[in-house]
Amino acid sequence: MNRMSKALAAIVTAGCMFGTAQADTLEIGVLLPSPIADVGWSHALNEGIAAVVEKYGDKVNVSTIENIQEGPDADRIMNKMIGDGHEFLLLGSFGYMNAGLKLAQRNPERTFLHASGYKTAKNFSPFTAKYYEGAYLMGMAAAELTKTKKLGVVSAFAIPELISTINGFTLGARSIDPDITVDVIWINSWFDPAKAQDSAKALLAGGADILFSNAQDTPSVVTVGEEAGAYVFNLNSSMKEYAPTKYLGVVKTDWAPFFVASVDAHLAGTFEGANEWLGMDDDVVVVEDWSSDISSDMMTRIQAMHEEIASGARHVYDGPLVNQAGEEVIPTGQRLEDGAILGMDWHVEGVNSPLPK
Amino acid sequence: MSTLEFFLAGTFSAATIFLLAALGELVAEKSGVLNLSVEGMMAVSAAVGFVVTYETGSHIAGFAGAGLAGVLLSLIFAITAITFLANQVATGLAVGILGLGLSALIGRDYESLTIASSAGINIPVLSEIPLIGAVLFQQHPVVYLTFLLALIIGFTLKHTRLGLAIRSTGENPHAAQALGFPVFLIRYCCVAFGGLLAGFAGAYASTIYTPLWADGMIAGRGWIAVALVVFGTWKTGRIAFGALLFGMVSLGELIAQSMGAGIPSQLLSSLPYIVTIIVLAVISTDRARMRLHSPFSLGETFDGTEGR
Repeated sequence: MNRMSKALAAIVTAGCMFGTAQADTLEIGVLLPSPIADVGWSHALNEGIAAVVEKYGDKVNVSTIENIQEGPDADRIMNKMIGDGHEFLLLGSFGYMNAGLKLAQRNPERTFLHASGYKTAKNFSPFTAKYYEGAYLMGMAAAELTKTKKLGVVSAFAIPELISTINGFTLGARSIDPDITVDVIWINSWFDPAKAQDSAKALLAGGADILFSNAQDTPSVVTVGEEAGAYVFNLNSSMKEYAPTKYLGVVKTDWAPFFVASVDAHLAGTFEGANEWLGMDDDVVVVEDWSSDISSDMMTRIQAMHEEIASGARHVYDGPLVNQAGEEVIPTGQRLEDGAILGMDWHVEGVNSPLPK
Repeated sequence: MSTLEFFLAGTFSAATIFLLAALGELVAEKSGVLNLSVEGMMAVSAAVGFVVTYETGSHIAGFAGAGLAGVLLSLIFAITAITFLANQVATGLAVGILGLGLSALIGRDYESLTIASSAGINIPVLSEIPLIGAVLFQQHPVVYLTFLLALIIGFTLKHTRLGLAIRSTGENPHAAQALGFPVFLIRYCCVAFGGLLAGFAGAYASTIYTPLWADGMIAGRGWIAVALVVFGTWKTGRIAFGALLFGMVSLGELIAQSMGAGIPSQLLSSLPYIVTIIVLAVISTDRARMRLHSPFSLGETFDGTEGR
């Protein structure tokens, strides 16, 4: 009995030493809403963290917890991460915002990055990608390849981030051919592959011949496109292997530069919480895996537009902008303000489907 | 394929998931056992069915594996609720949650992978008929088998000695036992049969209907199947009708959106559930008839003694 308790004590002490003895390593905690698969949102975030590990090697220690639903469970795990001594937290989903912010305020010396949110603190930075920039280029390519002049979007929730992406796509397509219209189906779920596939098929049956998988984490829509012979593109990470012949391209997010810079700043003690809204000029939004069916002429135009947007010479939401009702929202020569894009709740002209209110 | 063709043909394949699982649950409930773990059984078998099909390339092997997984999980429920007399509702919920967790574990390394769906059949000549051909004669074999199974189960329950044994076990297990029916065995078999069909429903979902694996892909369809049994007042014909109606509503929602109908999509998304509530409310108004349809001892534990 005595020997056993001694052994236990030894194990406990060893455990404690193991937990605290590495004061010079940065403990990074990562919380992800879905399983890390080969593709998708969590995969993209994980790749960004991998870049941090690559740069710092043994100096960082990453613990990742995946597939955590937004809600009390996530709050509990965040608290535990803090208790375990994590100094740098990456919270990978919109719904982690309020609990994460509270923790950040209680732990001012630790750094928090939070995906998709809008609240900011001194040590708490929300980050979002300007997907609409990439979607604009995809729209240009789609405009060349469509025969029916109808494009279809399968979309998760009607939140500003996704609405502005659909609008960017529509503007891009109509910049080439103003007769093009866009059908949208909102499936009200981040995650329902069966519904996503049915929606994609419904769009095709309704006459669309190009599909856009807007924030669907599984290759559901992409595989439908390949099977039906309709060009298809998606966000976050490449799904070309699921649609080898009909893949239009990907609006990828490369979080590596941003994550590495944030860890740099944290270690240097210069981190400052800000609303990080990153696009092509930050090398966060990357458009690649272009279909070889796009003509070289169009590719040149797309590249030129890419440079103009990245350099700031042009903005996707430059006027004239007309809404679905046909009213001019922004006249020629003016630009939609950032705040209006971040809070976008209207569709541009050319989107057929009414926006759910 | 026109929108109408897609809508009508898709209704049948969407209905198949609901119908398979609901038929299994019907048989279990007819024997007096309320097994609420359908969602979990479907999730586990969807994962197993996908993994097996992915590794072997055979959809039949996938269905077999999924059926087995469904049966095993239903036996966990049966041992707890039938042999150890635990509360059926609580046990069903617990096993269902266990199933959801297990499915995530089994499918872990297969997240977001895809497989080729097995092709539907094309009945010559008949499938050439406009509209009707695409709707009735180009479906996947599993769709036909499921609707055939509904006929068989309906007939068995109503007109055979086996059906009589199951029904009497569900109505009054004490009397059934007095008559010499092996109540425990019947209930075990019925629950296992329910697990088998829930397993097939899961395999159909993950290998044919949406041939990919993603954690959480059953997305509440098991619950709709449970509701369908009540919706159909424990009658196979009505359950099949209900399954088609649900398939239609779930697709109609998407088509209405793509055609630009100005109805909020959130409302459309909740339509299947709203329909369930309305129908339940309507059919429950006539208490006497409701009582007539529902197995009398449904949800009550039976300890093998002579009666109350």
